[in-house]
Amino acid sequence: MSRQDVHVREQASIDLPAQAHAEDRLSLLGRRNRILLTLAGAVVLLGLWHLSVVVLQVPPYILPPPATVVSALWNGLHVPLMSPVGFYVPLASTLYNAGMGFLIGGLLGILLGSLMAEFRPVETVLMPYAFALQSLPKVAIAPLIVIWCGFGDSSKIAMAGLLAFFPLMVNTFTGLRTVDPALLDLMRALSATRLETYRVAKLPAAAPYVFAGLDMAAVYSLLGAIIAEFLGAQQGIGVTITQAQAVTDVATVFAALVLLGITGIVIHTVIRAVERSVVHWAGRANA
Amino acid sequence: MRHVGRIELTAAKPAELRTTSSKARTPLVVAEGVAKTYRTVSGGNIAALRAVDIAIGEGDFVCLVGPSGCGKSTFLRLIAGLDVLSTGRLTLAGSPLVGASPDVGVVFQSATLLPWLSVYENVRLPLRIGGRRDSDPGRTQRLLAMVGLAGFEDKYPYELSGGMQQRAAICRALARDPKILLMDEPFGALDALTRERMNVELQRIWLASQKTVLLITHSIGESVFLGDRVVVMSQRPGRVLQDFRIDLPRPRTFEQTTSDPEYLRLVREIRALLDSTGGDEA
Repeated sequence: MSRQDVHVREQASIDLPAQAHAEDRLSLLGRRNRILLTLAGAVVLLGLWHLSVVVLQVPPYILPPPATVVSALWNGLHVPLMSPVGFYVPLASTLYNAGMGFLIGGLLGILLGSLMAEFRPVETVLMPYAFALQSLPKVAIAPLIVIWCGFGDSSKIAMAGLLAFFPLMVNTFTGLRTVDPALLDLMRALSATRLETYRVAKLPAAAPYVFAGLDMAAVYSLLGAIIAEFLGAQQGIGVTITQAQAVTDVATVFAALVLLGITGIVIHTVIRAVERSVVHWAGRANA
Repeated sequence: MRHVGRIELTAAKPAELRTTSSKARTPLVVAEGVAKTYRTVSGGNIAALRAVDIAIGEGDFVCLVGPSGCGKSTFLRLIAGLDVLSTGRLTLAGSPLVGASPDVGVVFQSATLLPWLSVYENVRLPLRIGGRRDSDPGRTQRLLAMVGLAGFEDKYPYELSGGMQQRAAICRALARDPKILLMDEPFGALDALTRERMNVELQRIWLASQKTVLLITHSIGESVFLGDRVVVMSQRPGRVLQDFRIDLPRPRTFEQTTSDPEYLRLVREIRALLDSTGGDEA
C-alpha cells in the first residue's frame, strides 16, 4: 500500500460527514424541482395522449382518452370495500397471494442462498440447477404450475414464490460470499462458532444485498401472481384485466394497470424505507 | 547473514531477563523455531517464516519491525490462532497455543468494527461470543473511558474518525481482559499527526492496563518510541535479526523522546540494519 493511498483513505473518512450533509441539502433542493418536473412531464404526457386520441380519432377500444381511464378508475374505487365489482377485492386477493409467495419464496431463497454460501458441498450440488433455472424464463413454467396446483390460490402463491425465490437466493449467496475477510479474521480470533459468525457478522454484512433482493422479489412476486391469474382464477387483478379485455373495456384494463403501478411504487417505497432504517450504515465510510 | 541473526538472538535472550523494570519478566509468549510455509495455488511452497525464536516477557511492550512481506504479520496471525504453524513451538503462559485463545486480544490494521453496531456494542462483542455472558457491564464503560471514548457509546463507527475507530478496536481487544495484546500495524492507515497522538495514547493505555503488547509496525520511529524491545526481522523468509532493548524513560513524549540522543541512535542503528538486509523500507 502506498503512502498516498493511506492519505486518501483517511481523508475520505474525515471529510465524509460534512460531504454527506452537503449532498443531503443538495438533494433536498433538487428533489422539489424534480417532483415539479415529473408532474409537468405527466401533465404534458396526458395532454398529448388526450390530443392524439381526439385528433387522430383513435377508437376507445384501442386507446381510451385519459378522462375515460380516470373515470374507470373512479368507478372501480368508488364502491363498498367488499364489493366484488370494484378493484378492492381482486387487488386484495392478488396482494395476498403475491405476499404469501414473497414470504415463502423469499425465506426459502435466503435459506438456500445461506446454505450454499456456508457449505461448499451444497453449493457444488445445487449451483448448476440454480444457474439453469435462473436463466430459464420462469414465466414459461406457469402452465405447469397451474397443472400441479390447480386454479386456486396455491398456484398463484407458487408462481409468486418461484419468482421471489431466485433474486433472494442469488443476492444472499453473493452477499455472504463478499464479506470483508478482515471481519472473518476478527470472528475467528474471538473463537466464534460458525453459527455466531453467520448471525453476528456475515448476515448483517450481507443485509444490503438481501434488501436489494427483497426489492426485486417484491415486484417479481406481484408479476408471478398476475401471470398465474391470467391462466385462470376466480378473482384477482389479473382476472379483472382479462375480464375487461374480453368485453374490450380497455379503459378498465388501463385503470387496473395504473392501480398496479401505484401498488408497485408503494411496495418499493416501503421496502426502501425499511432498508434505510435497518442498514443505515451501508455506504458510509468505515476505515 | 542468517548466522549473524542467530548469534544476536542468543545474545539478546539473557539481556531480556535482566531488565531494569520492576515488573516480573517471566516469558508470557515463547516462540521456538517457529516456521510457516504457505502452499501457493500453483502448488509451490512459500516460506513466510523460518525458525523464529522470540520470548515475550509479561508486561513487555515488544515491537516487531521488518521489510514488507517479511512474515511479521504471519507471526502475529500464528499467535492469534488465525494460522497454524508448520514447525516449531509456540506457547502462551507455558501451554501450547492451539487456535484462538481468549487470553489473546487482536487489533487489526483496519479497525474492523461491525458498522451496524454502536461503539458500545462493538466493544462488548467479544463478551457476547463463544457462549460468554457479559458478567460486568461496567467494564465496557471503564474501558471506553480509558481509551478516551466516554460519551461515544451510542455512536456508530462511521460517525468516528479513523483514530477513534482504532481506539474502539483497542478497547474491543481488551474486552476479555487478555494476557497479551497483538497489534498489526494498527496506525498504518492514519495520517502522521493522528498517528503520533495515537502512539502517545497507546503508551498511556499500556501503562494503565499493564498488558503485554506485541506491536507490528513499518515505522522504526514508532517502534523505538513505544517499545521496551524492538525485534528486527529479516526479509522473507523472516527470522529474527536483532533484538534491541529500549531503555528510554517513560512516560515518553514526542517532544522529549524523539530528540533524545539515545532514541536517535537506536533509530539510526535499526535503519542501518534494515538497509543492510536490502529491505525496501521507508
